[in-house]
Amino acid sequence: MRTETLESFNKDRRILIAVDNSENAERAILYVADSLGGVSGFYVTILTVIPEPPADYFETATECNSWIEEQKSEATRMLDKYRQILIQSGFVEDKVETIMDIRKCPSVADCIIDVQQKLKCCTIVIGRRGVSKKEEFLFGSTSSKIVRSGKNCAVWVIE
Amino acid sequence: MKRKKVADQETHFSEPDLAEMITRWVGPDRVPKGLRVVTDTSDFFRVDYDDVVVLDNHPYFIRNYEREGRFGIDEEPKFWVRRAVDLLDGSTKIVKMVFHEQFKARVGDLTFECVRSPKKEGAILDMVRGHPNFAQGFWVEDASGNVVRIIDFIQGKTFADYVLELGKDHEDYFYNHFPLVLSEYIELAKAIGFLHENYQKHGDIRRDHIIKEKDTGLCRWIDFDFNFLHKESMFGYDLFGLGNILAYLAGRGDVMASWLRENDSPVFNRLSADDMNIIFNNRVVNLRKVYPYIPEILNRVLLHFSVGANIFYDNANELLTDLQEVRDRIRDRNQGMAEVR
Repeated sequence: MRTETLESFNKDRRILIAVDNSENAERAILYVADSLGGVSGFYVTILTVIPEPPADYFETATECNSWIEEQKSEATRMLDKYRQILIQSGFVEDKVETIMDIRKCPSVADCIIDVQQKLKCCTIVIGRRGVSKKEEFLFGSTSSKIVRSGKNCAVWVIE
Repeated sequence: MKRKKVADQETHFSEPDLAEMITRWVGPDRVPKGLRVVTDTSDFFRVDYDDVVVLDNHPYFIRNYEREGRFGIDEEPKFWVRRAVDLLDGSTKIVKMVFHEQFKARVGDLTFECVRSPKKEGAILDMVRGHPNFAQGFWVEDASGNVVRIIDFIQGKTFADYVLELGKDHEDYFYNHFPLVLSEYIELAKAIGFLHENYQKHGDIRRDHIIKEKDTGLCRWIDFDFNFLHKESMFGYDLFGLGNILAYLAGRGDVMASWLRENDSPVFNRLSADDMNIIFNNRVVNLRKVYPYIPEILNRVLLHFSVGANIFYDNANELLTDLQEVRDRIRDRNQGMAEVR
């Protein structure tokens, strides 16, 4: 019992940074780089979620596949860039991983929380777009929902 | 567009066959001279009145096009949607041909990219087969692979028009008709919840997209071909539509601030910006200020759709949970009033 406690104490704390291709996502990365770069004891996962488009959104399967490939390619570039920012700020290379999650996703926030729970991350970091109330009402706000629904973790919202 | 004389058409039906069917179901004087059969509907503008569209060897006698009956004012013709007579059984159908429209949907001052998706509508028709709160039908590919939807025509008024005729005034409506209207609305909201549970959205929830079927009294959702890539919330736009309809039903029509002002209603001066619809800022959703007998519990649901709201519904089930409580409370109140009498 005592050994387990010590082991878990010695484990790195996992931070999940949820990003998309927006400026505020980059701010979230920069914030973590500034705050934790060079500090030992942290393992960072940079996550981007691409909601799988409904099969019936595109006229043909080719169009759909091409859209997905384009999204994947953009996301790969973005994740590589953000990983490099963290490494340059002092994170050890093998303690920064990237995940691109493409799946059916009625709510992006729920998908992020799902990943956080699976990876047992103690903190979610996310940028806030600053959407208007109307936009939040119609289209939702990922950061607001994570603040509301996240459990057993800290949530850092970066503006 | 593939367009052939009957004699050239690969179909089981000869021209005399079709003429005989038209005579039987529509009338002898309606048989067109030079009957034309269409099997490829790609160019829907060239599908004319009196043509026979044959899909999967099933003949449909084309009649007028349908209109988008939005609020009865700017009724735009939908040339790709035609009323038709099923020549095998005489029933009236709606034939929806493929129109790959891509456009910016405007909601208040917000816009988003939207498409018409025949496949989405086809998938929902499959999903809701036998469901009492959706239009019924099926889809079939024409000679060029277009997904044409064949939908049972629903005889009846829009739910919105039906509601306007209930009660001699709002109070009478609210006490004597609204409980039943609310029950019907709850079934409609459950139907939308069913779509959401199956990773689908209606996409264009408006009060004129509910038809109250004359024969059965059932309310059915129609027109679910709109599609868009969602942002955070896949169902937010559907919930917005449900909220608008609920406010319309509770108010027996939209309660417009401009109308209150023009009619020197004292209520107008008691309204604040927070009382208005979050998107359509001229519509009052804090209806208890206008009709004080609207119970607080219902008003609280309505206020989720107001400018002053700090929390929104995430899915239809959250809305339904609150509405079922509203329904129970109104029923208990009405029973209590009946006992007092």
